[in-house]
Amino acid sequence: MKMINISKNLQLLGALAIAVAPLTPNPSRADETCSSPYLPRIEGQEAFIYVWTLGVEGVGDGSDKLVVVDVKPGSSNYGKVIYSHSVGGRHEAHHGGFTDDRRQLWLAGLETSKIFIYDVHSAPARPRYLKTIENFEKVTSGAIGPHGVYPLPGRVLVPCLSNGKDKSGRTALVEFSNEGDYIATHWLPTKDTAKVAGAEFADGYGYDARVLPRKNVLLTTAFTGWKNYTREFGELAKDSDAMKEFGNSMVLWNFHTRQPTKVFQVPGAPLEIRWAWGEKHNYAFTATALGSKLWLCHEDEAGEWQAKPVATIGGEGGVLPVDISISADDQRLFVSCFGDGKCRVFDVSNPHQPRVMHEKQIGRQVNMVSQSWDGKRLYFTSSLLAHWDKKGEDNEQFLRAYSWSGKELKPTFQIDFTELKLGRPHHMLFGSSKIGK
Amino acid sequence: MNFTQAILLAALLLPAAARPSDLTRTADHDYDPPTPGSYTLPAIKTAAGGHVLDAEGKSWRLADLTRGRVTVLSFIYTRCASAKACPYATGVLRDLHELSMDDPALRSNLRLVSMSFDPVHDTPSQMAAYAALAQTSKPAAEWHFLTTASREKLNPILDAYGQAVDRKQNPSDPTGPLNHTLRVFLIDRQGRIRNIYNSSTLDVRFVLSDIRTLVLQSETQGTAGVVNR
Repeated sequence: MKMINISKNLQLLGALAIAVAPLTPNPSRADETCSSPYLPRIEGQEAFIYVWTLGVEGVGDGSDKLVVVDVKPGSSNYGKVIYSHSVGGRHEAHHGGFTDDRRQLWLAGLETSKIFIYDVHSAPARPRYLKTIENFEKVTSGAIGPHGVYPLPGRVLVPCLSNGKDKSGRTALVEFSNEGDYIATHWLPTKDTAKVAGAEFADGYGYDARVLPRKNVLLTTAFTGWKNYTREFGELAKDSDAMKEFGNSMVLWNFHTRQPTKVFQVPGAPLEIRWAWGEKHNYAFTATALGSKLWLCHEDEAGEWQAKPVATIGGEGGVLPVDISISADDQRLFVSCFGDGKCRVFDVSNPHQPRVMHEKQIGRQVNMVSQSWDGKRLYFTSSLLAHWDKKGEDNEQFLRAYSWSGKELKPTFQIDFTELKLGRPHHMLFGSSKIGK
Repeated sequence: MNFTQAILLAALLLPAAARPSDLTRTADHDYDPPTPGSYTLPAIKTAAGGHVLDAEGKSWRLADLTRGRVTVLSFIYTRCASAKACPYATGVLRDLHELSMDDPALRSNLRLVSMSFDPVHDTPSQMAAYAALAQTSKPAAEWHFLTTASREKLNPILDAYGQAVDRKQNPSDPTGPLNHTLRVFLIDRQGRIRNIYNSSTLDVRFVLSDIRTLVLQSETQGTAGVVNR
């Protein structure tokens, strides 16, 4: 068959135009390694960290808030909070995300299902509050617990955790336009609705949703519903029936059509998904919070997608791995473990046989980890969920920054969020005043 | 040699035509496209109007060029030399234009629009030079090359479509003086945006499937909603 693709020829036009233009070096591009591939990357060093922070009753104003930390090397405010904006009330601040032009930051609340939208383009150091999506359950026909915000071209994908009817883990993926208008709801498949391979494993639960564009695949994971994540963890852990209501599946979707194509059995609540970045690396990692295992979802030599456990995280009994961060070269995977407060660094150069190469005690509890594109800087926060954080002295609330030498993590600065009366820091996103300039 | 001359020179080197069977997987698009009509495309928002000029300097209401046919609208500027941005988007529109020559249904249902967001440089005469890409010896889908009379006329259109454009700090950047998010819009006959593509998702096979899906499906159904419950 003759293979002609005119688009390729038109790409040559760009190359030709470049050839006739003055030659000057391109600026280097850098960004955190776990962002959407549809998002423009930060050029050079990140300047700010936006921290979506849970309010704590009796601490400061008690409200959830967006906190901005200056991380510009040489800045007189380096490692300090330079701005915060309270959204009013406590909503179980959890994850957020940018629109694909990186002009807006959307911050989601798991308990009230509100989404707060900020302009981070006009004044990146002082994000401007724009509006709130207040009627999430109504417009989405019943989805609640917006977990994250994942930029897609001209729109965002919001994977949810629950539904308003029974508040179980049965949930949906929801799409909104960049203007904040509802587009569509895609319910996670169940045994009854899935008509694909692995349908018997489909539990309808959701958590993360991430795309590998060049393969046109979307992968989703599964956590638990509103009635579980709003309960005190100690009480929940004793309720054997409630503990059965955790997700045990991953779903592979045709991204363009938003239709499931295969369901994998992944016991123990698979959470964050990290696709590898390499041009021929057709695989993603996830970690199961309750199973304490690292899983690999990969395309095999026959072109079939498979999922399998590839490593145990921590020892006997599990360490509640809650976030993972892959390096831009796909060689390292940083795994933060809420249970024992450690970060475990895996050598994943062979993704089928990861091995631990370094461990670092970050705190008494640790949740999110974010990494710069060059892999030299990592940032950790402490809070998991308002009702699941540890108690007493173990309830440290911090943002801690580290440098990565290639072999070990070394602390650079820390911010005590309790001392500053800010609350519980959760998701971190990088900002810069140089984006789009 | 300026950029428009470069475009025209390269255009002369292009293959005469492509056939649908020629469109195959690439490293960037390593999958099979979906079957037209096997999925839905929820409405995203209404395609905004505004006052524009064609390559002959004639005034148009943009809404008149985004209704009645399935429209593929690409925001571009002719000085863009970033291989995965405007030249790439224009290449995909040219693919569709070429394909429509041998596909009467595509030819009669499709409209292509390349709209500049650089009105000071991209005058109607500049757009006319760029429009040389659309010259064919065979009937093909209509292709409009538009600009605006001023930034004041342009900005409300960009805001409504969500097309981000900024001036670069280095105006001599070899890839062009403007920073922008690549945006190509698929608009149904009623003027509703049904898909938005960027450089990753702008695969001519996707666009073709989407156009055919809109043509196949009743456009009063499946415009938004709840699926797979």
